Formats: sequence, C-alpha cells, structure tokens
Amino acid sequence: MSWIDLGAIDDVPERGARIVRTRAGCVALFRTGPEEVFAASNTCPHKGGPLSEGIVHGRKVTCPLHNWVFDLETGEAEGADDGRIATYPVRLEGGRILIDGDALAVGRAA
Amino acid sequence: MTRNLVVIGAGMASGRALEHLTDTAPDDWSITLFNAEPRGNYNRIMLSPVLSGEKSYAEIVTHDDGWYEERGIACRFGEKVQRIDRDRKVVVGEHGEVPYDKLILATGSSPFIIPCPGHDLPGVIAYRDLDDTNAMIEASGMQGAKAVVIGGGLLGLEAAAGLRLRGMEVTVLHLAGHLMERQLDEAAGYLLQKDLESRGITVRTGASTKEIVGEDRVEAVRLEDGTELPADLVVMAVGIRPAVQLAKESGLATGKGIHVDDAMITSDEDILAVGECIEHRGAIFGLVAPLYDQAKVAAQTLIGEAAEFRQKQLSTKLKVTGVDLFSAGDFADGEGREDIVYRDPARGVYKRLVIEDDRLIGAVMYGDTADGNWFFGLIKDGEDVSEMRETLIFGPAYQGGGATADPLAAVAALPADAEICGCNGVCKGRIVEAIEGGATSLADVKATTKASASCGTCTGLVEQVLAATLGDDFAMPTAQPICGCTELTHEDVRRLIKARELKSQPAVWQELGWSTPNGCHVCRPAVNFYLLADWPLEYADDPQSRFVNERKHANIQKDGTFSVVPRMWGGITTPQELRAIADAAEKYDVPTVKVTGGQRIDLLGVKGEDLPKIWGDLNAAGLVSGHAYSKGLRTVKTCVGTDHCRFGTQDSTGLGVKLEKRLWGSWTPHKVKMAVSGCPRNCAEATCKDVGIVCVDSGFEIGVGGAAGMDVKEVEPLVKVATEDEAIEWTVAFVQLYREHGKYLDRPYKWLAKVGLPWVQETLGDAETRAALVARFDLSQSVYQKDPWAEHATPEAERTFAPLADLTLEAAE
Amino acid sequence: MDAAVQTKTFVEVSEVWVPEGDTLRLSGGDYGPMRAFEEASRRTSFARGEGLPGRAWAEGKPIVLKGFDGSYFKRTEAAKAAGLTSAVAIPVFAGKSLKAVLVTLCADDDTCTGAIEVWTEAEGLLMLDDGYYGAAKHFEWVSQHTHFPKGQGLPGGVWASGTPTLMRDLGSGYRFIRADSAGKAGLTTGLGLPVPRPGGETCVLTLLSARGTPIARRFEIWDARAAKVGSRGGAVLIDGLCEREGPLWTDDTQEEPRRVAAWQGAIGRVLGSGVPLAEPATQAAGHGYASLVALPIFRGDEMAFVVAWYC
Repeated sequence: MSWIDLGAIDDVPERGARIVRTRAGCVALFRTGPEEVFAASNTCPHKGGPLSEGIVHGRKVTCPLHNWVFDLETGEAEGADDGRIATYPVRLEGGRILIDGDALAVGRAA
Repeated sequence: MTRNLVVIGAGMASGRALEHLTDTAPDDWSITLFNAEPRGNYNRIMLSPVLSGEKSYAEIVTHDDGWYEERGIACRFGEKVQRIDRDRKVVVGEHGEVPYDKLILATGSSPFIIPCPGHDLPGVIAYRDLDDTNAMIEASGMQGAKAVVIGGGLLGLEAAAGLRLRGMEVTVLHLAGHLMERQLDEAAGYLLQKDLESRGITVRTGASTKEIVGEDRVEAVRLEDGTELPADLVVMAVGIRPAVQLAKESGLATGKGIHVDDAMITSDEDILAVGECIEHRGAIFGLVAPLYDQAKVAAQTLIGEAAEFRQKQLSTKLKVTGVDLFSAGDFADGEGREDIVYRDPARGVYKRLVIEDDRLIGAVMYGDTADGNWFFGLIKDGEDVSEMRETLIFGPAYQGGGATADPLAAVAALPADAEICGCNGVCKGRIVEAIEGGATSLADVKATTKASASCGTCTGLVEQVLAATLGDDFAMPTAQPICGCTELTHEDVRRLIKARELKSQPAVWQELGWSTPNGCHVCRPAVNFYLLADWPLEYADDPQSRFVNERKHANIQKDGTFSVVPRMWGGITTPQELRAIADAAEKYDVPTVKVTGGQRIDLLGVKGEDLPKIWGDLNAAGLVSGHAYSKGLRTVKTCVGTDHCRFGTQDSTGLGVKLEKRLWGSWTPHKVKMAVSGCPRNCAEATCKDVGIVCVDSGFEIGVGGAAGMDVKEVEPLVKVATEDEAIEWTVAFVQLYREHGKYLDRPYKWLAKVGLPWVQETLGDAETRAALVARFDLSQSVYQKDPWAEHATPEAERTFAPLADLTLEAAE
Repeated sequence: MDAAVQTKTFVEVSEVWVPEGDTLRLSGGDYGPMRAFEEASRRTSFARGEGLPGRAWAEGKPIVLKGFDGSYFKRTEAAKAAGLTSAVAIPVFAGKSLKAVLVTLCADDDTCTGAIEVWTEAEGLLMLDDGYYGAAKHFEWVSQHTHFPKGQGLPGGVWASGTPTLMRDLGSGYRFIRADSAGKAGLTTGLGLPVPRPGGETCVLTLLSARGTPIARRFEIWDARAAKVGSRGGAVLIDGLCEREGPLWTDDTQEEPRRVAAWQGAIGRVLGSGVPLAEPATQAAGHGYASLVALPIFRGDEMAFVVAWYC
C-alpha cells in the first residue's frame, strides 16, 4: 500500500466533509467522529449529487439532492435505494489523514 | 319457623357470617349478638390507619347500629358472656340468658403478652382493638413521648409507624434477625428496616426484652444485653392466641384453638366457630381472607348447604403509607427450590420468586408490588410456569406478547364514556360515533365533534381512537416521530428542549434517548434549529447540521453549481449595485442572470469554490447575502407607495425596507416571504405571502399565513394597526412566535393551521407578550443578524470551500 | 345536602398556568362568578420570576402571598375588585422541567378558616416556610412555632413517605400534633402533599380544611406509580373522603380499588397530560360538586400520584 498524506484531520469539520481531487474523480473525506474519517466517492450514483455537501450522521452520509443515505463503511445505499459508492481505505497518523493510493489507482482502473 | 341463633363476638368473621345469613335467609333466624367490646363490627385490619390518623373510626365501621336494627339482630354489646349451658342450650350473659338453637363462637384472639417482669404496668398496651388504639393515641398526645414497640411483625410495625406519625419517638424491638421474618426474607426485611429508619423509627433486631421497668407506670424497657430504653408507652405486638377459654370451659374440644371440622362445626354439632379463635386441621388464622371464607362456610352450614372450608395460600401487605411490600406463599430456602431474584437498588426494588417443581410457591416483593396479585394467582392455582420461567419476574406484561404495552390496545379498551377531549367534553363514544358516521381523519373528527379543536393536547389520543376504530384504513399522521432516531415527535422535542432546558445537541441525544449517535439528515437540522431558536445565547448554530444551501449560503443547483442572490432592500437598488452585479457575473462566468419574483437578481451557475470570491466582490460594493437559500427571511416585496404612486396611502417601500432590515438573518422553521402593498390594489401581492401588509388610509392591515407554492392560500387577517411602528412590532412578534412554536419545515400557514389564528391573535394581542416576543427576537438577532458573505469571504473560509488536496497533479505511482 | 353545598368555601379561585417557552399562560381555571378577574387573567402571562406564578416557577417551591398591595402580584386591581386577598402558587415539576403552576386564591374574612401551608427542610427538620390561615390566627402562630422531624405529623409523614396523605379528625380527640389549636380553629381534614423541587429536594404542602369553610368537600388520592399499577398504567384510588359518599378507599383484600386509565375522565386527563386541572366540574366529573382541582405529583420525571379536591 502507498499511503498519501491528504492533510490535517482538523481541516475536516466534525460531522462534515471535504473533497480531494483525484484522477479517479472527486473523493470525499467524511469525518464521522473526533478521530474517525472515511473516504468514498463524492458522487451519488442516483443523480450525481455531491455527497460531501450532505449531512454526515453516525457513519453515514445523506445525499443533499434526494436524501439517499450511504453507509460509509460499506458504500451501500440504505433502505429501498439500490446503489453503491466506492470506498477507500484511510488511516489517521499523528493528526494527518492518509489515503491508500493503490486503492485510488484501482478505483481508476475499474 | 324461626330458630334462635346466638353469636358470641362481633368481629370480622362473625360479621361476614351474619351478612351471608341475613342476605340469603333473612327470616329464618332470630339472632342475638354478644360482644365484649361496647360496639359492633368494624374493620380491624384498618385500625392501624386509625392509629396514624389516616382514617377515622367512623370510616372503618362495617356494621353500624342501623345495620343490626334493619336485620332485627338483638345486640348485647359491652356484655360479657359468662358461660354456655350446652345442656339447656342457653348462653348466659351478664344481664341474662339467651336460648339458642345454633350458636356461633367468634371470640377471636387475645394478644400474647410476654410474661416478663413489669408486663402488667400501666402504659403497657397490647394492640388488638379500638380501645388499645385510643389508648395509644392518648399516650402519643404527650409532648416528646417515647414508645417502645415489642415485636417487628405486621401489627408491631404498623403500630410503630402510626405512633411515629402521631409524633412519638419510636423504637421497635424484634427478637428475630430481620423484620417480619415470617413474611419477608432477609433482603426485603432489610429494605423495610431502612425505610422505617428513614421515618425516624429506631429498629433493633435480635433484641430480647428482659424486663419492663417502672414504679407506678412504665418508665423503660430493659433488654437482655442490659440496654435500657426509656419509654412512656410499651406496645406488645408479639403475636396472638386464639381466645378459647369460653369454649374450653364449655367442654368443647380445643387445642391451640377451638377445633372445627370443614363445615366449621365444633365438637358440639349445634355450635359452630369461625375466625381467629378456631383451629382447623392444625392451623390457626390471623389474616382476614381465610376468616371470610370460614364465615361463608359457617353461614352455608347453618342454611343447610353443604360447604367446606379449604385452607389457601395467603398474601400479606403492610399498611404503612409509602411502604410497598407484598409477600405470598412459602419462600424459605430448600432443596429443589430455585430462586429468581431481581434487584434495582436505585429504585429500592427487590423481588424474589421461589419455584419448586415448575410451580411458583412463594413471592416476596418490595418497592414494586404492581404484579403481586398476579404472582399470588399463580401460587394459588399452582400453574406450571416452566414456559415463562425466563420472563416470569417481569410480570404479566411480558407474557403472551405484551399486548398490554400497546397504546392502541389501551385506547381500544377505553370505555365509551371515557373523556378524550377535556376542553370540549368529548368522550370516546362520541368520536367513535363520528367515525362510524364517516369521519376518517383528525380534521373530520374535529369538525364533527370539536374533539381536539381547542388546546390540541388530545390530538394524539383522537388519532389513536381513529386508528383503533378504523384499523388499517387510518394512517397515523402527526403522532409520527421525527425520524427513526427517536420516538418523539417534533412537538415533543420542541417542548422538551424548552422544558428540560436542553441547550446542546449532545444534551438532546442523551436526555431524550436518541437511538443514533448524532441524529440523521432529518432530525439534526430540526434539532439544530430548535436549539438556536430557544437558546440563542447558549447554543451555537452548527453548520454541519444544515442542509447544503444553508451551509454554503447559496442554493445548490442540479449540476452541483450554486446560485447567488444579493439582497435588495425592499426591491430597491442603485446603479452602483447593478454595476457590481454585472461585473461579478462577467468575472465568474455566470451563465444565467435572472430577475426573481422577490424583486432581486439571481446569478445562477456559480462554481462552489468561487463562492467566497464572488461574495467578497459583491460585499465590497455594499451588497449582502439575500438569504435566498435559507429557512429565514427571504424578501420583503414592495410597491412604490406614496413616493410615486397616485393611489399609495402609506410609504409601503419604506416600511418594507425597515422590515427587511429588522428581520434579515433570522432563522425560522421554514422560509418566510413578506410583502408590503401601498394600497388595496395590492401590487406587491401581499395577500399570498407568509406575512403581507396592505396599507390603507387609516393604517396597516397585517395578514398572515398566505402561500403561493404548491398550496395557494390567501392570508388571514391578523390585525389592523394605525402606525408603522405597530406594524413592525406585530410583524416581528409574529415571526418570533412562529420561531418559538413552529415545527421545522412547516411554513407559517401550516403552523397556523395547527395552532389556529385565534390563538396567535390572542397571544400577540397581549401587549406585554408582544413586547417580550420582540425582545427575544432582538436578542436572537444580536447573535444571528450577520452577513454570511462577509463572514465567509475570507481567505480562511475560501480554503474550506476548496478541495483538501488535489491528487490529479501527482504522479500516479 | 344542598345547604352544605352552599356554605362558603376557603378557596375562591383555582387556576392553572402552563409554560410555553419561558412564559406562563393560563390553561384553565375555575373562577366561579368572578368573570372580570378571569378576563384579566386570560390577558396576562408571566415570565419566569414574574408575578406569583412566575415566582413559584423561579423559586421551585410553592409560594404564599398574603396581601397583594405593593407586592409583585400582577393582577392586584382585578383581584381587589373580586375581593381576593391572598394566593398560593404551587409549581408542578417533573424532574427539572416545569409542567404547570397551580394558583389558588382566597378571600380574607373573619369567618374563613382553613390553612394552606408550605413546609421546607432546614437542617434536617421541616419548618413552616409560609402559610395562609384565613381567620385561624392562633393556629397560624402555633404552626410558626412547630417543626417536624421526618416521619412525624402530617408534614413529616408526607416528607418521609413521599406519598400524599389524608389525615382525619384533626381537631378531635385524635392527636394531630397541633390538635388542640386545630380543634379550636375547627380544622377537620388535612391533605399533605410532597411537592418535589427541581433541585431534587422535597417540600410539603398541607391543605387543612375546616368544616364551616372547607377547602374541599371531597378529596381523592390516586396512585399512578408503575410500582403500584404495573404495566396497565392508569391510577388507582388509594384514599379519599367525600361529604356525600363517605370514605372513598376500599379494603383491597376485598375489593379492587377504583381505577382510571389515562385520558379517562378528569383524573385521566391529568394522568395523560401531566398538567393539573382546575375547572368548573360537570355533574359526572364533579361527583355532584361544582368545581374540581386535580394536581399531579411527580417523582423524578414520572408521575407518581394525582390528588384531587372537589368543592
């Protein structure tokens, strides 16, 4: 794995998100707790809504356009909605957010 | 042909026997009733509350003089029976003989007196009858008097509690290791002791009385261990013995008590015995339930019906106010017996069930006795409890699916005359009638019955009646919880936030039992609004609880770009402003520039990351955010009014500008649009706004609750005022009332439909209330009336709108 | 019976104020013929700390106010016009949250005897915080010089048991602690109520009723604790007295006590809403009396009892 430093965790508001531009498209970083961050595609599979603009609750995010709710651990849409967003391994180290570059590359290949 | 019946003893058992007898065979017997006490039958088990003052003697009399008179019972009260002449079949009283064909002995019991030295001193009282009770009450009247109660059983403890309530210093002496050892196990006994001690009663267990000390009357009690307890009154409550002397002297068979068979007949077939004086199959009786059974059997025997007395399991309660204990059956430890114990120390609850051979044989409960009778039933019936073993201790509610916990079932079970709507006096039957007559919604019921038409407290209940009556045809509307995170409704949460002074999101989640760590996209924005509306100073708005438009201070468009709308006060602008807007539109490649219905200009298609920059540019030209995205004041649309229009009656533009300047920036449950028209021609379309003011010659007509969206609605008249200042005051107060009471995402017209315009008029009609609302609004504005553009048009803010990182620039490897 | 109904009563007006936000508003009341005062009340509201109800809220305990002139009482003029001279405000708290404030108003005259007392804890004893006694001046003096340890007397008993308690025959041979003086004042029946304060302490309110000018002609104490009523909910009548029906308690070894479900009748409404009632009674709801007051008593956040009095 190649871990890429994206920035300080405090640059992402708690229960909020920031985006990272990648060659695979925009990836959103969701900060679900003081020491918990998830990375997933920023794009809702439904109508392309920017998930980083959605409300982050628990380990979930709600798309701002039509309220699809995604589980950030699995990427699966909840309830009756059928869809999935790509998720990427991230880890925290000394207050920095690191993302798995290989996974991003795979994401691009796929 | 009447026969002579003589009854000796007017107690609870014989009293009940007489009731049965005179009810079923009123003319068969000529009855004489002897009683050593100079009074008739009263409920002896209620003597303790008489002692404590919580009942009066009059209330516990079960048979008064009239009762005996009506039944032709000759009462020989206060007269002792000297002997029974069984050969001649006469009872010899102090004042003469009475012949009998049948005789009932109901001589009761005598208190057991410990034969220690001093037991016969004045001031030593046994607790048995009303005279004892009155003597105790008399003794308690002395200031600072001290009582020692010997015996920590049912009777002793009730006496102790009563004397304490009467103001005495009370000590209970108990020989056994814990109180009420025959009814309670050690744990429950301990809880009871703690409870009594909290009432200021001293309890000494394992205390053996050696001697009662005193010259002319009692002065102290001395224990075996040498302790001497000063006492003005000593109550002996160590037990009872059947009073058998008369029976014995008459040659009847006695043991511990007067021997009776299953039909309550003694060794003499014309003499029956009931109550505490008897011994049946080796047992004697002190509790009331078997006495009543015996009484019934005795009456049946006299009438000539075959009846048998069967001993049953007994249950015990202690009549001390605030002490909840229940005991039934057998709960001694033993081989093959298993215990189920439940404790809740915080609530002082202890429950123990004893099971043997899959049957419940004993139950002790302290602090929570609600299920006592149910357990008692299981014990008496000897029911097999193996199926419900796991949940048995939780009581009947947990058995058989817990149907009783269903609120709908509870409503369905209400009788037709149960009052549902207190305001309008509507009972359940009336609502059901209305439903059967075709009402299918809350509104229908409200219209036909007035139920829930006033204060609305019963709305949920009316809906439950609808649901219970219509079944699946009715979908519960408003009792819906906010979302899956909670079972509370918006109204509940609003109320609880205020009432319980919850001032942060974590406080709401925790105190109101949210099932999710921090809500969801449905509840969190609502809670955020409620908190900031109710606690403007204590709570800080949380951007992460806002929908994107409010967080970004711009409307997100379907392609992910945003629209930017600068505020134009009352629709008035200047060439400089227009120039700045034009410049910004060009600089940021704004594809669409549109004039809105709210009299301002919308720049559509701005990229997210450009937002802070365009705001900065517009800000520099003196433009501020138009809040075209927020649940707050949008626009105040105006016509030109007296300045230019020949019809204008007031300065409508001026008022519009003033209103907008006063109200902008405030958060509301949903968006608020206003308009001010200068005359009834209404060019500003004020009559379909949330608040619309129409100027007339004599002042200002304020209408509220209009809509021109999916619903189209004309405003309803709120008030007419004479001056511009009043118009502003009323408008501000109305907005604040809506802020404080509206459900999140209810436009004012929806909120008004719920609370009713009259309530709003009444509330705002009070000058003081109105002023208070305005003051609270202004307080909130001191925090929230800030231009978000100015706040976010900083390099700092700009950074947060940009991607955290851009990996497209890095090598893929 | 009718003659009895027409005797003067100790309390002239009872009203219920409920919080809406930080304001108390009138939710109901029984004003008898005092329409003008009722009107004035309807137009009034109280912020926390304001006026008598607001004060009871802010202080978190019942407040007695004797004489309105120059006091913080807000409706002085209207009260004066109605002949009302004294008032007691009783806040109802569920845990820390105020459910309502019950206010009773009395008209002073030489014939009106009774007592409404507030007892609060000081150094492990209950002391008289304040009380309104009407014409029972000697009894007032005695009460001011009496204190109760836990478990003693009506206040101490209520304090220790946390249970509303109805005492009989206060002034007769039975030794109510202040019996002599109570007897002279004609006091017969005492209702003691625990009034929980938002800080967790409890104070005790006692209503002592005299035969000539009774506070009520019917009293009821309903137990609504889950520990008593179980999962069925509702409440059971544990004690009561009625001039018409006599004692209202039942010997529960023989007879199930009377029970009400939430929302069933007046008591049910209090159970359901958690808010006291004070209203002119209908024939059915009032058991033949003209007015009723029903007051919920909470333990922590849960409703534990409802006491009702009818006049």
